[in-house]
Amino acid sequence: MSQATLRVQKISGHAGGVPGKDTQREYTVSKLIDTTTCIGCKACEVACMEWNDLPFGQTVFDNTYQTMPETRWNYWNLILFNEHEREDGALMWLMRKNQCMHCADPGCLAACPADGAIVQYTNGIVDFQQANCIGCGYCITGCPFDIPKMNPETHRVFKCTLCADRVSEGLEPACIKSCPTGCLHFGSKDDMKELAEARAKQLRDHSNFPHAGVYDPPGVGGTGVIYVLHDASNPEIYGGLPKNPHVPWSVKLWKGPLKWLGNVAMIGGLIGLFVHYLRYGPKAREEEDLASRPEGGRT
Amino acid sequence: MTNGWVDIKNTDMMLIMGGNPAENHPCGFKWAVEAKRTRNAKMIVVDPRFTRTASVADLFCQLRAGGDIAFLGGIINYAIENNRIAKDYLLNYTNAAFVVKDGFKLPEDGLYSGFDPATQTYDKSTWNYEEGGDLSGKASAAKADPQTKATSGKPAAPHLPENAAYDLNLEHPRCVFQLLRKQYSRYTPEMVERITGVPKEQFLKVADLFTSIRKDGDMQKVGTIIYAVGWTQHSSGTQTIRTAAMLQLLLGNIGRAGGGVNALRGHSNIQGATDMAGIFDNLPGYLKVPVPADTDFKTYIERITPKPSKPRVWESFNYWSNTPKFAVSLLKAMYGDAATKQNDWAFHYLPKVDRNYSWTYLWDNMYNGIVKGIFAFGMNGVAIGPDSKKNIDALKNADWLVVGEIYPDETSEFWRSPGISTDEMKKIQTTVYRLPCAGFAEKDGTFTNSARWLQWKNAALPMPGNSRLDQAIVAEIFLKVRDLYKKEGGKFPDPILKLTWGYTDPSNPSLAEVLKEINGKTFADSEDPATKAQLKAGQQLPGFSWLKDDGSTTCGNWIYCGAFTEAGNMTARRDNSDPSGLGIHQNWAFSWPANRRVMYNRASCNLEGKPWDASRRQVWWNEATEKWVGNDIPDFKADSKPKDHMGPFIMNAEGVGRLFVPLGAVADGPFPEHYEPTETPIENPLHPAQTHNPIAMRFKTPDDKYGTPKDGYDIICTTYRLTEHYHYWTKNNPMNVQLVPEPFVEMPEELAQEKGIRGGDTVIVSSIRGTYKAKAMVTKRIKPMTIDGKKTYQIGIPIHWGYRGIAEDEGKTAKTLANNLSPAVIDPNAYTPEFKGFLVKVEKA
Amino acid sequence: MSQAEQIIPHGHVLRYTLRERLTHWVAGFSYVYLLLTGLAFWSPWCFWIAVILGGGQVSRMLHPWAGLIFVGAVLYMYGMWAGQMRYTDIDKAWWKAVRYYSTNQDDKMPPAGRYNAGQKFLFWGFFWGGILLLLSGVVLWFPEYISWNLRFLRYLAIIVHPAAALFTIGLFMIHLYMGLFAERGAFGSVIRGDVSMAFAKRYHPGWYQEITRQAAAPRK
Repeated sequence: MSQATLRVQKISGHAGGVPGKDTQREYTVSKLIDTTTCIGCKACEVACMEWNDLPFGQTVFDNTYQTMPETRWNYWNLILFNEHEREDGALMWLMRKNQCMHCADPGCLAACPADGAIVQYTNGIVDFQQANCIGCGYCITGCPFDIPKMNPETHRVFKCTLCADRVSEGLEPACIKSCPTGCLHFGSKDDMKELAEARAKQLRDHSNFPHAGVYDPPGVGGTGVIYVLHDASNPEIYGGLPKNPHVPWSVKLWKGPLKWLGNVAMIGGLIGLFVHYLRYGPKAREEEDLASRPEGGRT
Repeated sequence: MTNGWVDIKNTDMMLIMGGNPAENHPCGFKWAVEAKRTRNAKMIVVDPRFTRTASVADLFCQLRAGGDIAFLGGIINYAIENNRIAKDYLLNYTNAAFVVKDGFKLPEDGLYSGFDPATQTYDKSTWNYEEGGDLSGKASAAKADPQTKATSGKPAAPHLPENAAYDLNLEHPRCVFQLLRKQYSRYTPEMVERITGVPKEQFLKVADLFTSIRKDGDMQKVGTIIYAVGWTQHSSGTQTIRTAAMLQLLLGNIGRAGGGVNALRGHSNIQGATDMAGIFDNLPGYLKVPVPADTDFKTYIERITPKPSKPRVWESFNYWSNTPKFAVSLLKAMYGDAATKQNDWAFHYLPKVDRNYSWTYLWDNMYNGIVKGIFAFGMNGVAIGPDSKKNIDALKNADWLVVGEIYPDETSEFWRSPGISTDEMKKIQTTVYRLPCAGFAEKDGTFTNSARWLQWKNAALPMPGNSRLDQAIVAEIFLKVRDLYKKEGGKFPDPILKLTWGYTDPSNPSLAEVLKEINGKTFADSEDPATKAQLKAGQQLPGFSWLKDDGSTTCGNWIYCGAFTEAGNMTARRDNSDPSGLGIHQNWAFSWPANRRVMYNRASCNLEGKPWDASRRQVWWNEATEKWVGNDIPDFKADSKPKDHMGPFIMNAEGVGRLFVPLGAVADGPFPEHYEPTETPIENPLHPAQTHNPIAMRFKTPDDKYGTPKDGYDIICTTYRLTEHYHYWTKNNPMNVQLVPEPFVEMPEELAQEKGIRGGDTVIVSSIRGTYKAKAMVTKRIKPMTIDGKKTYQIGIPIHWGYRGIAEDEGKTAKTLANNLSPAVIDPNAYTPEFKGFLVKVEKA
Repeated sequence: MSQAEQIIPHGHVLRYTLRERLTHWVAGFSYVYLLLTGLAFWSPWCFWIAVILGGGQVSRMLHPWAGLIFVGAVLYMYGMWAGQMRYTDIDKAWWKAVRYYSTNQDDKMPPAGRYNAGQKFLFWGFFWGGILLLLSGVVLWFPEYISWNLRFLRYLAIIVHPAAALFTIGLFMIHLYMGLFAERGAFGSVIRGDVSMAFAKRYHPGWYQEITRQAAAPRK
């Protein structure tokens, strides 16, 4: 959770209006991760730990350069290493910086029942407010990228904040600042999109990557973290980056038709029973029972 | 680096070989990526493994460790055969046209002329230029030239001929170009495949792509070669780098923005260490160290000051002719008033180096009881190796050991090495003194980076506990020793007693003061005749052109002169403006020499003094002012007219780049030749009778054993570092330990399958010298290779673990050192051990 | 206790033993807690309930435990009552005539036994609903331990749990309505345990006949 003084445009589990919605003209911010120039140096991993003061954890050698199998509640930024053989036999060692994608339509926020536990700022950052988190883990289910992670002791969920605290002060996120090769960029979504498309075109025109492209999946309304991929037609090779991510159908069903149906049914049921009582009343009047009221005890 | 980190962004073509900059120099690697992004530059990576660097390359090629000279020689052959060479550059800026002495023999049988099998040394007298004039167009008559014959019959010339013979048609059979062509005509693609294991087609792809910058004689494009210790750490390391330099000369890539031969230094200040004489045979600024034969200063200076050697019609600046000025100023800096003309500038105070004191010899001497003790500061000698067991055994024999470190390390606790029993420990009599030193962030001073930039840094943190600055520790030892000499006299107290020690706090000299001292000052008012600039007595020198050999100037290191001038600490400058856009950053820190960013930059222009590429204008000849000017500082005589044909390589006596290295400047031959690593799975396909470098240096203690496939050692092993760790330090830092927690061995899937090893299994790697235990990383990134028809596996070991550290102390690792495996055998020029490409076997634990 | 002993003097009859009443109320109270906290998680407009009940975190923490208690009680009920909840031909007829039942024309209903078909439906509804809630609830309890590969379990759980809950809420509302408002005396039966003979005769004629017949029979 950040201490940012950012305005909020979406709040999880919240009844009524959103205080910051449409009150400010602000750019949507975005990270650009150019996987074609990532060298997997892990500077971003370290910067993330340093800036956010995340505690050290144990890791085990796992036949890979990758620090750990997946992000943790206290490890929000993880480069995924994948060895991939192209159809022409050439080997690729794909490195993808994995973290919260800051979806425009965040599944975590949609699934979250706790008022204000997840917010989306007007600049697009999706941020967890652990003080409000109830530890239900619905966000874990709501996320199509497997990002939110629960602290098993405190039962609060954590993830990348896109350094909302830094961004609110006009700084780039820590990971961006630490990147030595310039594979990471930060700016307005429009600018990043333009930069990414230009780079993808360069890769198509001048390198041996005819399918190079930009990953900004529409299924979640676009993301606040976009990738340039060597092969945008096959994002799964980058450690299971979903080809067409979307908020899980069950979350949509639950938060959509079921909620509507359930509310109608419950309220309708109450009204129906009330009307039934007015129309028919009790099956037997009280006085009928009173007539045979016992005097003594019972077994 | 001839160029610099930022300059890499100007390149069109990168050959990254013998280095893994994405892994080990991620920050500098930024500029390689920048070149790709902004110029569509191509990146070729040639390495035994598919590395992090390879992951962003345009073309990757897996090479057998130790096949580098063959590979580069093959490219030279390809470039010549396909006419992908910079003809004008070659002719005018290299010694291609020079004619070599009769009697010089190429190593078709593995040996150059002059080899004496009894002493295992070369008589280098035929490794020289022919005396004489213009032999152009006289190729056929050359052999009958009486003058030539007469010269070649004389006994070995002590130095280069003043008037070198040359053939501007490059046709003379003994001209350097023809010899070069002949030498590398043997390095056919087929031969490259046999030696390196790189399939012919793949090699040709690389050769074609790299030399494509000189397609159809075009001179605009520039290619760079980037390397690191993957080239250095071989028994033919120096020659590998020479081959690269020759290729770059052939392609006309040296001196140009985006070109050059660029060594990536492995530590933040390793360049500074070599500049400041961190090598036994150098004095600061690469002045040669005196030897016992230098009976006086004059003899010494005559030996180390080269005289021009060139075609009579050309000019040579021969900048080393200023050597006396550098040497006298150095002695004045060291001994001040005690250095006078009468006492040969205190030359006799300098030790005369009588033999090889390089790293491996030092440990060998300690092993043999000759060296009694060692100061180990800022390095972990036991872990660094090679042959760690030998080093540990050597320390057992030492009387004392002083370690200045920030952590308890393997060296300071050498007696805790696994395999030493408690009884054995009791027998070790070495006294160990452990001194807590300051860490890098707790010290100020300069780092000299690979780009030769001296960059001042400030202390960021206070030192913890009782730790002290290195210079304070050294100073106190010096003061104590001086006191003892004062009190007790001794055999030769003057070199100690008369040493200049004028620091404000003698027991803790400030590094700014030291830098001022290194820069040097003048004792007399003086004037620069060219610029009319004035200097008053006592003032700091603005640059080395002010140095005098009359004792009126001091300078601790001539190449650092200009780093701390009257204008202040130039290394602390932080103006990152770059008007030319070439990444020159003239006002950022200080780049030796003379704040010049690209060395030999005269070569970036054609003979008329116009840049080869108008879009990358570094320096040029200004016709109006009749001066060399530019965005960078011209590395040239400022008023030398192009028509005078002064060579751009002003540090060579010839004034031109050396395709052929005359005399003994390189010990193992004027042209590099492929020799097999000391431990090799095959015989040398070029000359099976002479498989190894005949003068590579081996050792003879019982710990010095060299394995062969016959002994069962048939897997090629190479060692390296990881981004996540810094040498043997960061195993003490939980952050780094979290990133890569345990030692591992990278191996091909096929090898793992053969041995029944799965990823994560513990394996034992053993060489004839020792064993290493770690977990297996089974990967597609190393493939089996066919070396001279033989299926061969390569494996790789990151070096970062030992027996002290977080994981080690928690008992999570086997506590073996990677350098238990590596052999003590060294390159005969730089004395670097062969950490790459030795033989091992692998078993599942 | 034989059924004959259920008849209490003064025209009352024992309908629920203490054990049954206790079980009912364990289920009842836990269900109410589950309902309230569940509603809080169901809709932001109800989240205030969680605030009143000690906050979202406490509610989230206790909800699964309450769920276990509830399902435990339901399973115990199963043990007690499953035998009596078997579906009979009379139940079939009862359902056919349910519109009379809902319009208070109980005299037109086939004679229900100790439990009429509606009550049986409630029982089985809560039983199966409880099973579904338990299974999906366990997944929702520890979503962080369900691996990414098994995420369909989470997707299933997140929809099954509220759907099953809604179903039981429907049952619960009718149950409450019947017990508190429609059938006077029913509430007392789960408090005191007894109902009047008139109650028994009116709502559970089959059961009434059975107990009176047995009471008339001579004791052994």
